[in-house]
Amino acid sequence: MTSNKREKSLIVIQLSGGNDYLNTVVPYSDGKYYDNRPVVNIPQDKVIPIDDRFGFNPSMGPVKSLWDEGKVAIINGIGYQNPNRSHFRSMDIWHTAEPDTIGKEGWLGRAIRDIDPQGDNVLTGINFGRGLPRALAVSGVSVASVGDLDTYGLFPDVQDEELRMFTLEAFSRMYGNTAGRDPVMELLGRTGQDALQGADILRTAPAMYSSSVEYGPGPLAQNVKSISQVFHANLGARVLYTSYGPFDTHSGELLSHAKLWDEVAGAIGSLMDDLKEHGTEDDASILVFSEFGRRIKDNGSGSDHGSGGVAFMIGGAVNGGMYGEYPSLAEAEQIEGDLRSNNDFRSVYTEILEDWLDLDAPSVVNGQFEKHGILKS
Amino acid sequence: MINNDTALMAHLLRRAGFGASRDELEQYLAMGYDGAVEALLNPSHPSNMPDDLIRRYHVEQSELRDLPGSAAYWMYRMISTSCPMEEKTALFWHGLFATGYAKLNQARSLLNQVEMFRRSGLGSFEDLLVDLSKDPAMIVWLDNNENHGDAINENYGRELLELFSMGIGNYSEDDIKECARAFTGWTLGNAEYMSIRAAKDSIWPYGRIAWHFDYREEDHDDGEKTFLGETGRFNGEDIIAIIVKQESTARFVATRLFQFFAADEINEAGEKTVQDMMATYFSSGYQVRDMLRTLFHSDYFKSEEARFARVKGPVEMVVGAIRMAGNYQNPALGIEKVSNTMLYMGQGLLQPPTVEGWHEGEEWIDSGALVERVNFVAKELSDVRSPGVRSIIDRLAASADQGVLDPADLADGCLDLLGPIEVSDETRSVLVEYASRQGDLDLSGHQPGDEAEQRVGNMLRLVAATREYQLA
Amino acid sequence: MSTQTKSPSIALDYVKTIGIVNNGFNGRGFANPYDIVVDDNGRIFVLNRCDPLRAAAIRVGICDLDEEYLGEFGKGNGTGDGQFIWVVAMALDSQDRLHITDEHSHRVTTYSTSGEYLSHWGKAGSADGELNGPAGIAVDSSGDLFIVDQHNSRVQKFTVDGKFISNWGSFGGGDGQFNLPWGAAVDADDNVYVADWRNDRIQKFDNDGKFLAAFGSSGDGEGQFMRPTSVAVDSEGFIYVADWGNERVQVLGPDGSFQLILKGEATISKWSEDYFASNPEEKAERDISNLVPELPAHLNTPYHISSQTEPYFWGPVSVSLDGKGRLYVTETNRHRFQVYQKR
Repeated sequence: MTSNKREKSLIVIQLSGGNDYLNTVVPYSDGKYYDNRPVVNIPQDKVIPIDDRFGFNPSMGPVKSLWDEGKVAIINGIGYQNPNRSHFRSMDIWHTAEPDTIGKEGWLGRAIRDIDPQGDNVLTGINFGRGLPRALAVSGVSVASVGDLDTYGLFPDVQDEELRMFTLEAFSRMYGNTAGRDPVMELLGRTGQDALQGADILRTAPAMYSSSVEYGPGPLAQNVKSISQVFHANLGARVLYTSYGPFDTHSGELLSHAKLWDEVAGAIGSLMDDLKEHGTEDDASILVFSEFGRRIKDNGSGSDHGSGGVAFMIGGAVNGGMYGEYPSLAEAEQIEGDLRSNNDFRSVYTEILEDWLDLDAPSVVNGQFEKHGILKS
Repeated sequence: MINNDTALMAHLLRRAGFGASRDELEQYLAMGYDGAVEALLNPSHPSNMPDDLIRRYHVEQSELRDLPGSAAYWMYRMISTSCPMEEKTALFWHGLFATGYAKLNQARSLLNQVEMFRRSGLGSFEDLLVDLSKDPAMIVWLDNNENHGDAINENYGRELLELFSMGIGNYSEDDIKECARAFTGWTLGNAEYMSIRAAKDSIWPYGRIAWHFDYREEDHDDGEKTFLGETGRFNGEDIIAIIVKQESTARFVATRLFQFFAADEINEAGEKTVQDMMATYFSSGYQVRDMLRTLFHSDYFKSEEARFARVKGPVEMVVGAIRMAGNYQNPALGIEKVSNTMLYMGQGLLQPPTVEGWHEGEEWIDSGALVERVNFVAKELSDVRSPGVRSIIDRLAASADQGVLDPADLADGCLDLLGPIEVSDETRSVLVEYASRQGDLDLSGHQPGDEAEQRVGNMLRLVAATREYQLA
Repeated sequence: MSTQTKSPSIALDYVKTIGIVNNGFNGRGFANPYDIVVDDNGRIFVLNRCDPLRAAAIRVGICDLDEEYLGEFGKGNGTGDGQFIWVVAMALDSQDRLHITDEHSHRVTTYSTSGEYLSHWGKAGSADGELNGPAGIAVDSSGDLFIVDQHNSRVQKFTVDGKFISNWGSFGGGDGQFNLPWGAAVDADDNVYVADWRNDRIQKFDNDGKFLAAFGSSGDGEGQFMRPTSVAVDSEGFIYVADWGNERVQVLGPDGSFQLILKGEATISKWSEDYFASNPEEKAERDISNLVPELPAHLNTPYHISSQTEPYFWGPVSVSLDGKGRLYVTETNRHRFQVYQKR
């Protein structure tokens, strides 16, 4: 038994564009599925069966293996009331946990602030990708956005190592002088130092990492590898976020969706192997979500924006199984041709915040929501 | 050391534009300060990258279906314009009357709104508010298409008073209702079809369909209304006529103009200038141009305390650096990556996060944004192949005694030609020491890309990375 | 003198609209189509330029007049073999090969009509045989290629394998001069027509480049053009012009006389019907809308009008003909093409 019980980390994989629920967890024994999806469907003999009603998309082999180990929670019919079918708006809702008004703070930004109120560790929350997702954005909370871990930091375009070093050193001296200056210069000085420090620390992560696990060459796999490197470098990163897409499969869906899930399932499989190898499977949980599902009826080539979708939690500390109800495809149950969600996404957030990150949930998600028991506490 | 006229003109051009290369600065200096203010407020020879060229090569900017192409289209405009004040004005109103892509899913309507800001942004504030009320993007953004004679929706009525003119505390809840009633029927053509397309982000079958204003008389509440103590069968224009008469409106416009064009914070001296601008607001018949003239001629604006009193927004950082480096003079692949960079810095053109716009000033700065900001300008200004950088190298060589610059000359020369930028003694000593590593710089007979030129590039990189460069 | 306008000697009837926007990476639908070529078997090849977000999807889509999507090919975005960056135009030779110009990579890529990549050729530069922004491309009866070399302000003639034969042209507005020329066509007599884009005119040359005639001037009137991008000539010598800047198609007689103007009258395609079948609430609102609205003054240019008026041509970047009297107008901003039949 290790004496150093490390703190739990949340890894988030955002599927951007609206992942097609019906072709991810396929209701292959429901005739209405094939009636509504004459073209854009997964044939019965192609799904990877979970049970006699549902099956995974054929590209999700690695996820099925993890399911068999009891490490995958499928959260069915997840969404919010009054579904919004606009990418931006719906993703904002997921990011700010605010379905009814325009939220300004990201739920994970708030979490990071609650974990580290003084901002002692600039690496508490990290986004892997450029540009900060709203989920992590709260005024005053420092979150690095790492486009490429190997070159992260200032002046990445300076090829000459010596020149880069001298330039960084000069930068550090210029930004080091904060005493007695006006507030803006002080802020710039502190921020510049934080950025340098964050970059210095992050740069050590790949060097400290060793693993026999091979990650694929695709963009998500590489970002997930960076997540693993930083997670295992024990830098105090509690929230590690990345995005992948586009899942907006209005046309040519079967081919695109299959390729997308090849990448996602492969990345998750590699990451879980890596966690296993390091003995950290119980210390990280992965949330996989998308801003909405897609329409029940296909449009002849793909499917259009819908509402209720599916989310996953994956990890050693996850109580594997199906949660929530798979929405009915019966016409009477639909919302304007879409699946009716029965599961508020803020329940999952609440569970993660309380049982995983050990924080107060209602202040982050603006309300009380019932938990499902997805995570082992 | 720095000539005050030059420093003042550079300051004016940072505010009424995106900064200036030394060539541009000299052109404006030749007009004198007053002449320059007039030229900026009343440009006589407008020019920018022609639309036909842009649309030929950038099919996405011909169609404007998606956000990246549309933001890039505005970028080309800001980069190539000979009327920077027009673009700065449009950017100002875009941040104030913040209308965002997220709800509209219609980028063209946003660019049409920006074009309206170019057309009307320096004229009468009253006319501008009327144009804004008829702007289809604004109508959808604040749900005025759901504001019906038999069922009002107060969103636009409220924000018009709260965020776009007088501000909280200067009107009552009843005034909001009456205001909303007056704008019933102000909608867009084919409103129901356009709304559902916006809500679903529909581009089918044949791409987007652009929007235009439509007045539905049968949906307009024509009854008597009492607004701010006046009574009548007011329609939208009448409400606006009453709004613009209010002192609180004058203060609002003057304050916001001051904060964008003069300084993030208003001190005692600044307050006096704001009051002068309010007086101009009334005496000129609500003309924004006249208010800006008052501002640019004020003692405060010309004083040293106004210099570098603003944190540059991401758009200013990026456009300023590109203009200085002289890049993107012709349509080229990669322009939309540049507009994405501003998004990573925290200011996505055409996508303000909420109707309150962006939180400016200090709030632009966080560690992620700072890294993006420094990296972008450092890279842009250190490339010795860029026309603007080459021009700086030529000027440095010409100004040097027999083409040789000592480390202090190199540092000071770069600070001068990129601005002039004022830096603290500590910053300057770091720059000089950095240059001293390789001793004197001999630029005589310099060849494109040679080591002497690279040294200038390296110094420009470091100057661009200073804290002071982050300020306007 | 009689002031009566001659009535046109040609009539074109609208047939149908084919297409739907495809913002994905494969499958039926188009993404900024830029040119069309029709083979003798009635297969319609559509060249998709694709915006930068979807550059990986640059491809040729194939369909037929019954709106059956037959397939697609391409190797995506880049400078590798078979890849593209900024595609402009296509020409079909008598050996079932498609020659596609790329104005960013300065080269011509050849695919078979069954989608097999064959080869590419072209070197960037301004010497004879070198290219700077190859745009329009046309094949004559001997199988030689004429390529509009836009930034070198000239037309160049090559063998079908890219061996240089001859060229003509220089920058300017005079006879035989060009300003950012775009489309090219060859008529039944092997004369060469060029859409002289920024000179707002069409120029006609013989097969060796000798100037024969120029048609059109700047404007929006009859016989005038605003940035014409493409030209096609039928077996009778009628000249079809994609008058891009005016969002219309004009037809001139063989002598250059004005014949008629088409503004576009698009209807719902089969693929669009499928979309509406799964989105009935959107269709319901569409059905009560006026798709040809009146517009305020500041939006009164052809470009803005077409952006709001769905049936009109918008971005009509290419005109193509098949051997059966049909005209195909490729609309890049509407991801479709409209088909007309010559009476």
